[in-house]
Amino acid sequence: MTKIRLIVLWLVVGIPLLWGIERTLQNALKLFR
Amino acid sequence: MSLQANIDGPGQSLSFWDRRRTIASAGFNRFLVPPAALAVHLSIGQVYAFSTFNLPLTRLLGGAQSAPADWKLTEVGWIFSAAIFFLGAAAAVFGRWVERVGPRKAMSVAALCFAGGFLVSAVGVSMHRIWLLYLGYGALGGCGLGIGYISPVSTLIKWFPDRPGMATGMAIMGFGGGALIASPLSLILMNHFKTAASNGIVGAFVSMGAIYFAFMMIGALVVRVPADGWLPAGWKPAAHPQELVTTANVHVDTASKTPQFWLIWGVLCLNVTAGIGVISQASPMIQEMFAGRVTAAAAAGFVGLLSLFNMGGRFLWATISDYIGRRNTYTIFFVLGIALYAAVPTIGRLGSISMFVAAFAIILSIYGGGFSTIPAYLRDLFGTMHVGAIHGRLLTAWSVAGILGPVLVNYIREFQIDRGLPKAQAYSTTMYIMCGLLLLGLVCNLSVRAVDPRHHYRKPYKT
Repeated sequence: MTKIRLIVLWLVVGIPLLWGIERTLQNALKLFR
Repeated sequence: MSLQANIDGPGQSLSFWDRRRTIASAGFNRFLVPPAALAVHLSIGQVYAFSTFNLPLTRLLGGAQSAPADWKLTEVGWIFSAAIFFLGAAAAVFGRWVERVGPRKAMSVAALCFAGGFLVSAVGVSMHRIWLLYLGYGALGGCGLGIGYISPVSTLIKWFPDRPGMATGMAIMGFGGGALIASPLSLILMNHFKTAASNGIVGAFVSMGAIYFAFMMIGALVVRVPADGWLPAGWKPAAHPQELVTTANVHVDTASKTPQFWLIWGVLCLNVTAGIGVISQASPMIQEMFAGRVTAAAAAGFVGLLSLFNMGGRFLWATISDYIGRRNTYTIFFVLGIALYAAVPTIGRLGSISMFVAAFAIILSIYGGGFSTIPAYLRDLFGTMHVGAIHGRLLTAWSVAGILGPVLVNYIREFQIDRGLPKAQAYSTTMYIMCGLLLLGLVCNLSVRAVDPRHHYRKPYKT
């Protein structure tokens, strides 16, 4: 049960963060185009 | 006897928000605490992306263009400044309260303040009263930022006595990462709520208030504090701690009277001054130093890249500091920073965009690392008892640097251009002044010694 809570909680904070990183990298690539 | 009875004692019932209700039961996984802290820091990190609203806020009446009665950009800029000022002030004032009431109540109050700030600001936008934005996002939201920033710090240090740098680095990384989420989220929400009569800011503010409140409350509900005397399984404190790592505690009121506190204050202030000056001018700087080669869109990409390194540096450097020691980590920051700032004018003359980007990416990782390594540095010097409150008082250095950094970069640049220097060369003097500031920071850092035992707290200490 604790492991499931741990995974769910990390997903809850990790998914928005990864989404933000992906959007930022997309913009950053314009620098080198 | 049940755990609850153990905590409450016979005949006592504790409020859900009471610190003692958050004491972890046996078998609690301490790795649940960093994501709880991240939920708060990822939310309040939104403040770094507030500039997304700046231009739309100057066009509330005019629509596509600003009308004469619209707010000026300078007026709108004060919302962010007020929020940062109240962040530092609230962290300093409420530090001891946060230690006393524990992380759950502190995080919940931070969530209420931060979300409340958005709601008051939404009213301010719909009534077109800018003072409501200063009061809402600036003062109320700023208090939420300050309380939220320090609320998980001492809890994390107590859960991870074996890796305090890594643990606090993980949380404070969230503050850097918050802008990466908030920037696209703000644009999506404004587009969603946009109508012919409105640019969607009211809807965006209300939605962000609700989203961030829910997200921060997840952290508040999950967070737990360890029981007194808890240590990680199999871990024992070193029999002979390193030179600057104490096993004693220093009271917050005593700590701020020691030279160590003010030396660390100087270390943080000077490191942040150098970094924040660059952040505030990153976009025009790269466009002016590489005129005709870097477009505004590419410069925005550069700013985003710096945010990524700011975030990554927070985790990486704080984790490294667990292995090499805090003072050595800051020595690397200052020496590397001096070398890189001194190299920037030459890189500009060489015309190498890649080298320029790489230099500033490392500088921004150092800037982030400076924030995230500080709590563990304070723990090493002053112990865990009041580390959150001491950290709160130290954040006044951030408020000072927030004004000093941009002012230095902007005014020196203006002065150079007024003297007839080409824009591409106008930043050289600034870079050398930043080197001087970092040299001063290096001296402060190398002067740090262990706190005199006469400052140690003598009474038995219980959380």
